[in-house]
Parts: sequence; C-alpha cells; structure tokens
Amino acid sequence: MKLVNLVAVVDLEKCIGCKTCERVCPVLAIKVVDGKSQVDTERCRGCAACEQRCPVYAIRMEKRKEPILVGVDVDSVDYGKVIELCGKAKLNPEQVICFCTGTRAEEIAAAILMGAKSPEDVSFMTGARTGCKVECIQPILRLLEAADIKSVPPKGGWQWYGRTVTVWEIPEGVRRKHSSRGFYFDEDEKLLNRVKEAPLQGRR
Amino acid sequence: MRAPIPPIPPRKSQYGIDPSLVKKRVCELPGMTSVLIKELFPDMPDVIYPSDRGIETIRKATEEALKNVDMSMIKPEHSVNILASHHGFTLLGGEPYAEMLKTLRDVIQARTGCKDIRLRAGVGLRFRETEEYIKRYGLDKHFNGKAVGIAPIDEGIPIETEIGTLYGIKKAYDADWIVHAHNSDVREVHFHRQVDRAVKPFGMSYARIETRSTYHQNMGPRAANFVARAIFDSPFVQKKFAFACFLTVAPNGIIGVDADNDLYSLNDRITFIGCRYYGKMMTLLGSIDECIVALDFPCPVVYVFAGGVIYANFAGANTDLYDLDDVPLPSYTWYTEAFYGKKGKPLLSDIPPVNPAIKMCVHNYAWVGYPSVFFSEHIPTIVVGREQADLFNRDPQNLNYMKHALIADDLETAMEFAYKVTGTRKVLIFDGAIGGINVSEPLAEYLLKKAPEVNERVENELLPKWLRQRGVDLRIGEDVRKKYAVRG
Repeated sequence: MKLVNLVAVVDLEKCIGCKTCERVCPVLAIKVVDGKSQVDTERCRGCAACEQRCPVYAIRMEKRKEPILVGVDVDSVDYGKVIELCGKAKLNPEQVICFCTGTRAEEIAAAILMGAKSPEDVSFMTGARTGCKVECIQPILRLLEAADIKSVPPKGGWQWYGRTVTVWEIPEGVRRKHSSRGFYFDEDEKLLNRVKEAPLQGRR
Repeated sequence: MRAPIPPIPPRKSQYGIDPSLVKKRVCELPGMTSVLIKELFPDMPDVIYPSDRGIETIRKATEEALKNVDMSMIKPEHSVNILASHHGFTLLGGEPYAEMLKTLRDVIQARTGCKDIRLRAGVGLRFRETEEYIKRYGLDKHFNGKAVGIAPIDEGIPIETEIGTLYGIKKAYDADWIVHAHNSDVREVHFHRQVDRAVKPFGMSYARIETRSTYHQNMGPRAANFVARAIFDSPFVQKKFAFACFLTVAPNGIIGVDADNDLYSLNDRITFIGCRYYGKMMTLLGSIDECIVALDFPCPVVYVFAGGVIYANFAGANTDLYDLDDVPLPSYTWYTEAFYGKKGKPLLSDIPPVNPAIKMCVHNYAWVGYPSVFFSEHIPTIVVGREQADLFNRDPQNLNYMKHALIADDLETAMEFAYKVTGTRKVLIFDGAIGGINVSEPLAEYLLKKAPEVNERVENELLPKWLRQRGVDLRIGEDVRKKYAVRG
C-alpha cells in the first residue's frame, strides 16, 4: 500500500522528446506524444524515475493536492491461493518485498490473482517498485512466473529485462567451486526455506 | 579531554536540506569530545591523507601504484571507461577519490597514448548523486566533457555468467576497456560481509536493477556476493577488464593506493585490511552497552559515518557482522528487514534484534534517497527541524519514515529530550570526523578503557577465524605490511 503524494510535471519548453522518461517509468504513466512528454496524472505513482533520469531536467515532482492511496486488499481474494502462489515462488506471504512502501508478498500475490499480468500492473495496483525502483523487481517476476504468467518487457523500454537466478538454482558445480571463498549457498538456501515455511503472524 | 574534531560540513544536494538549515552540529554541544582512532588502536596504519602534504599525496600514491600495472593492452585508438562509484566521494570529503580518478585518467593517457578516456560514475539509489560530484570536483572538465553518472534504470546489457543471464548498465561497458576505480572502505558490511568487497560494484554500481534485486532478494545474505563475482568472471567482462585501482582506506584515513591487473589479489589485501582494522572498530562499538546515536553527515540515514563505521553497521553491532558461520542474518540487512512479519516480529525466532544499546537516535542531519523506515520503526528517533521532516515525507523511498519519528524544533531540545528519556549520557556522533570519532565524555572514557581488550581479541581470536571463513591466508598480512605503514 502506498500513499502517492507526488506527481510528475513536464516543462514542455525544456522537453526534447528523447523518451528516456517513457523508458524508465515503472507504471507506463508518461509517454512522448508529438515530440513532447505527457503525464497521465491518474496513473503516475510519484516515483520520480522520470525526474531523476531526464537528461535536460525538464521534469519536476509536485505535491498532489489530493494524494491517492493505492493498494490491494488481500482479504478480497482467496488467501489459500495467496499462500499457494507465494509458496511456489519460494516466498513467505508476509515477507516484505518492497522496502520503500512496505508491500508484502501477499499483496503482490493478491494483485496477480486480481488480474495483474506484468510488473507494471503490479506496481500500478500496489505501489511496489515505485520507491527506489530497483530492489523488488525479482520477487515480483518470481510471483508472476509462479502464476504461469509470461510477462514481456515493455517494447523499447528499460523497465526490466528478465528474471534471474535464485539460490535454489545455483548449479552444484558452482557451489563446490566457490564455497571456500565465503559464499554460503547451501546454508542460505536452508535459511530461505525456513523463512518460506515460517508461521504467519497476521492470520487467525 | 580533547576538543571535538570538525565534522564533515553539510553539503548542498537535492537529497538533503539546504546547508543553511543545519544550525548547529552535534559535536558543538556541551560535554562533547573526541577520541583519535590511533589512541584506541595504536597499530592502525599511518595515513597519507589527511596530512600536511595535502591532496598532492594522493596523486603521487596513485602514480606510484600504477607503475606496477600492465596497460599494454590499451592502444591509442581504443576507448577506456573508468568505472567509479558514488561512495568514494563520501570519503574524507570526496576530494581524495576525485583526485585518484583524475590521476588515473592522466596516467592512462600518458602511458598508452589513448585519448578516448571516459568516466562512468555509478550510484546507489540516488540516481543523480554522482552527477553532483562530477560537477563539484570538476571531473567533467578534467575528462573533457566525457564524465557521466549512470543509474540502475538506464539502458541495460545482458551478461552471460555461470549462473545464467545477469544485467549490467550498457554505458558502463560501452568501451574497449574498463578500469575499476574503487576504494576499500568497508561501508555495507551488513550486506557484503567483507566477502569479495573489491568485486561488489560489478553487482551494484555498474549493474542494472535485475542484478541488484538478485543480490538483495534471490540469493540469501551470504550467497548474495556471488552475483558480483559471477559478472566479473564472465567472458564479457573479462574481455574488457584492464586493471583495478583502489583508494585504500582504514578507519583513520587514506592509507594508500593499490592497483593491480589481478582483482582477486587486490581483494585479498583489502579483505585483510577490512577485517583487521574495521573489524576492531566494529567490535569496539559493538561492545557499547548503552548510548544515544546522533546522525550528522551529508549521506542517507544508513550511511552516516563514525570512525569508518556506518550507522547501519552499528545497528547490527550487537552481532559479529564478520562471522559468517554463526551470524547468518545480521540485525539489519534487507533480508532481515524483509523477514519481519505483519505483527512486527521476526518470522524466525533466531533473527537478532536491532542493537539494543541504541536507546535513541537524534537525527540532526542526514539525507533521503535510501529506504530508512526500518530504523525509525525499530529505534526511537527524533528529527531536528520540520524542513527535514518535510523532505522525508516527499521522498518516495521514505514515505513512512516520519510516521515513526518525532520532530524537535532544534538540536538542543532534541538532545535534552534524549538525555531525559534514555537516562544515558553516552553519545556516539556519526558526523564523519576524520582521524577519530566525536563522542560524549562518558563514552570516550568507556571506549579508551575497552579498546585494548578488543584489540587482543580481534588479533588472537577473531581475525584468524574471519580470514579462514573467507579462504584468505593469514600470511597476506605480510603483503599488507610491506605495502603500507603498518606496525605489528
């Protein structure tokens, strides 16, 4: 859940229509039309990715007059299915996925069960990945994959490229070759398995 | 008792409040003093900077270190990317790192005849941070307009590794050769655990979001560092890697410059330095029984410095961050933060609490641009000035920080409140004081008394264990002693 209190505003005089903003927006809320960037203010989640990467400093973040609360109510879906999806992605439903918004795996799973088909949908519905824009892409991709959804990165965009390796998938040969140098693959796999199986605190 | 050491001044940045709003520094309050690192640990190496020889000493040390490096692979018609990271600019005011980068460029051009030498400076989560440093230190001019900041959401490039495809930032690798220009300061021990510290930027500063997320979410707290090694070892990177040049740092200052064509040799040397010297400071600070922490440095909450130790490490200093066997999860890492359930308790009973010695945090001056809510949630925090509170409330990474923090109008009020509520007079100030730490008098006395015992324990018990866990031979210490002015 996130209280969106900012919105991107474009200075059309400065905008050069380079599309950098379009390529980095995690919710596809900004688009270059007729050579100038346009913000869909209802869609914008106030992450400032566009403002931070605009090469000509044409974008600023303004305070919204009326902040928007975005989030998915996990009680509106079958929680058994949330548990199943998280388990398949090797995540505990209560573990935090987005450190900036405090979004937990269960909320991402609920968004997927309610129809999210891509990381962009997930971010739009939950606000996750609209803080630092960096750290939570992999668990989101893992949850989408667990739901058998084959997401495709936005065409021409830099939003994301693909799911990467998890500790469970590290080949045996790699583990053997490198474990003497302080890489604790087997032990961390066990640790993450324990987290996955840990009892839930928030459900009766 | 000694007078406090002048702290690093506030810095104008889009990530912090205007320096004019920092009315008073914590070390200026009554009862504050300082302790030199060398008073605590006399066997710390001698520093080359700061010294009365000024910044010139960094240029000379860089030139000297580069004499042993092979640059014959770089031809006049080639292009070279010098890869840098934001963190170097936070060390001792940033000038030493900037000087090393400038010298690197000059030496490469002089030795190889190559003129297409670019600076690509990576960031953490403040995407314009190195842009600010490039301007501040005149790097754009020195690199003839070829100095840029690169961010993890910039265009990527797939890199095939022995654990599958990972992703780098395209602009980091768009040259014939790369030169890895970093530093040995330990900083995020809670994340990297002093495993492959020299290699880490390949999985962070030079990497895309997919790779960074792999490190922090897919691998586990002690396997994560392999992400950087996998990228560095990839044929793609190996084909481009020319050499590495590091500003070598100890808790008391810059001790030299190390350069090598073999990154893993350099890595072993800085692993020794990190474990031996920073390990002592970390262990000493971890022994503090109770204190008020004061944040007063131009960096995000987690990264403010005291004696080479950052606040994030002090928050976990109730555990041995260097012990890989017995401490799978420190009190603070993103894995730990992720593993707190909906009732605010850890999902596993063996997850250690945040350092219980920290009774309160007085946030006098620190930046946004890093998710820091975990700290205000777990440590009673009082923020000085409404402007600073407003800044946090506008930061997409910290929208919840102020939900758990109080606001004081001024520093004096905040400190008085902290003294009254906690009952302790021990104050540890994270203000980047160079060569020592600023503390309150009772804490100074405590640290001076405790340090000899910590020194013995690290030398005889902990250091051999830490190095063994990392597969680093204790005899590497001989190389370090030869290279730097090290006693003992």
